[in-house]
Amino acid sequence: MFITCLPGIWIFISAFRPNAEILSKPANWFPDNWTIYEFTQMFSIEGYVSVPAFDYLKNSIIISLTSTIIAITIGMMGGYAFARFNFKGKNKIFLGLMLARAVPGISLSLPLFILWAKLGLINTSFGVIIVYVAMNVPFTIWLTDGFFRQIPKEMSEVARTDGCTRLQAFWNVELPLAGPGIAAAGIFAFLLSWNEYALASVLTRTIASKTLPIGMMDYLSEFTINWAGMCAIAVVMIVPAVILTFIVQKHLVSGLTFGGVKG
Amino acid sequence: MAEVNLKNLTKKYGDVVAVQDMNLKIPHNEFLVLVGPSGCGKSTTLRMIAGLEEISGGEIYIGDELVNNKDPKDRNISMVFQNYALYPHMTVEQNLGFSLKIAKVNPSEIEEKVTEAVAILGLEDLRKRKPSQLSGGQRQRVAMGRAIVRRPDAFLFDEPLSNLDAKLRTQMRTEIKKLHQKLKTTVIYVTHDQVEAMTLADRIIIMREGFIEQIGSPIEVFNNPVNVFVATFIGSPPMNVIECEVVNENNNLFIKIDKDMLMPCPPSKKDKLKKSPKVYVGIRAEDIVPSENSTDAEKKGWNFEKSIDLAEPLGTETQLFFKLNDKDVISRMYNPRVIEVGEKIKFEVDLEKIHLFDHETEKAI
Repeated sequence: MFITCLPGIWIFISAFRPNAEILSKPANWFPDNWTIYEFTQMFSIEGYVSVPAFDYLKNSIIISLTSTIIAITIGMMGGYAFARFNFKGKNKIFLGLMLARAVPGISLSLPLFILWAKLGLINTSFGVIIVYVAMNVPFTIWLTDGFFRQIPKEMSEVARTDGCTRLQAFWNVELPLAGPGIAAAGIFAFLLSWNEYALASVLTRTIASKTLPIGMMDYLSEFTINWAGMCAIAVVMIVPAVILTFIVQKHLVSGLTFGGVKG
Repeated sequence: MAEVNLKNLTKKYGDVVAVQDMNLKIPHNEFLVLVGPSGCGKSTTLRMIAGLEEISGGEIYIGDELVNNKDPKDRNISMVFQNYALYPHMTVEQNLGFSLKIAKVNPSEIEEKVTEAVAILGLEDLRKRKPSQLSGGQRQRVAMGRAIVRRPDAFLFDEPLSNLDAKLRTQMRTEIKKLHQKLKTTVIYVTHDQVEAMTLADRIIIMREGFIEQIGSPIEVFNNPVNVFVATFIGSPPMNVIECEVVNENNNLFIKIDKDMLMPCPPSKKDKLKKSPKVYVGIRAEDIVPSENSTDAEKKGWNFEKSIDLAEPLGTETQLFFKLNDKDVISRMYNPRVIEVGEKIKFEVDLEKIHLFDHETEKAI
């Protein structure tokens, strides 16, 4: 826990002190001068001074949320299909999805770049969203499949004899029961999109589509690195992710199906 | 309330036949029990009636309507599952009212019907509870309540009591029977427990490997089993069935029921036995009566003496085990006393109460 948190703490501390103090030797553990200078530089009312963090934040939110919602919707339907139906080549398709997940994303960056360039999708949020959806869908399918499998099939059968169509049974009974799984898949998909760097660095160019991880590089110039600025933007990245995880986490109550059937 | 009619109903999984050419008419208000060992096709039949399983051939009518291609929701049936399948995220009253909510019944009417159902089943105090806060018996009651509120044409029960402990099972069995008398609806009930079948059914269907072996009232199938399978399946303990040779001595037919032990052939069956060298003899445990308990009528029958291998006292009776033709045979001794192993006891058998089955076809003679 300590080892995981230490860099995070260091980032938080460094975000609120001047660059000079970060570089001082010997290292100064606790800042002498607290400052929110870097944040005002990013989000100043008259427009940004250092880095257009607001645009990056906006891009990150749009891209991550949209790709997560799409990935979950597809993943939910796919997971349900894998859990409940038998169709030709089911196992092979499932294996294929898992293998797709096993391919390192970065190895696809060059072909993707060429393809996206031809399609005019470079430097658009849409282009990035498509890539993130493709990246997340196998994972969300795999996770929701597992959760749907845990729900006894009698649940939907009894709902259907109770007067539901298959869709109503899914919507009223199985979906609420798979809620925790879908929430978990959502968090993972969101965090993956939110933190993704390698592909975004290839596919984005300007404030039209650059996300926070890419924006962070703006603090890197030829001769200097603005550590304080970088830490500040890292804080901007960390805070929403942590808040979202906290909100969704309370839905991750497993064992919800307990009691419905003889356990 | 409706009649359920099955015509040539067939279900195949690939080459495996689960149900073969089943013809059955279930009249209004009948309590029909499908019974048989695992894999005999009884649950499949029920699920086909419910619409949860596609049928491979034949027709299903509920009322006058052909429902082959209808969704479960349009068949107006209710099903109670073995594992209850209550909606865990809903309270008891939400579980009960769910089908009405889906049918867009107005809330005041839902409330009325739910109140009626909880009253019938004695669930008044549990209305706000979630299924996880209920005991097994209570869950089973909620599952039945959920079926009741819809006022379906037919109730389908799929082994509803097999998850309950023995005591609760007996209690719920009585409740189901009372419920049927109160609601007067067609009930199709699947079980592998022949005691449930006997106690609940107006009519029993005994199935094996996708075929109907026998249809009849509980008493009929108990007293006149059509073959060895039914004879050994219905009744507890199962009927003693012994493979025996038929012996002709001085023009009198005898059945060689044990080494050096000949039992005269029942007079009513003499003609049919003449040509068979072997026969299966079926005798219910209660028809092998220890002489000390026997009535005068039984004393007129045939008697034999055997030493006891094992005695199981059950309180109201003691079951005596001994061997005939190397086969374990059980006798029921009412008015029990202490029995020593190896003790020789004289038994009486009323010859007209024994069952004979053909050696090749295993069908009743």
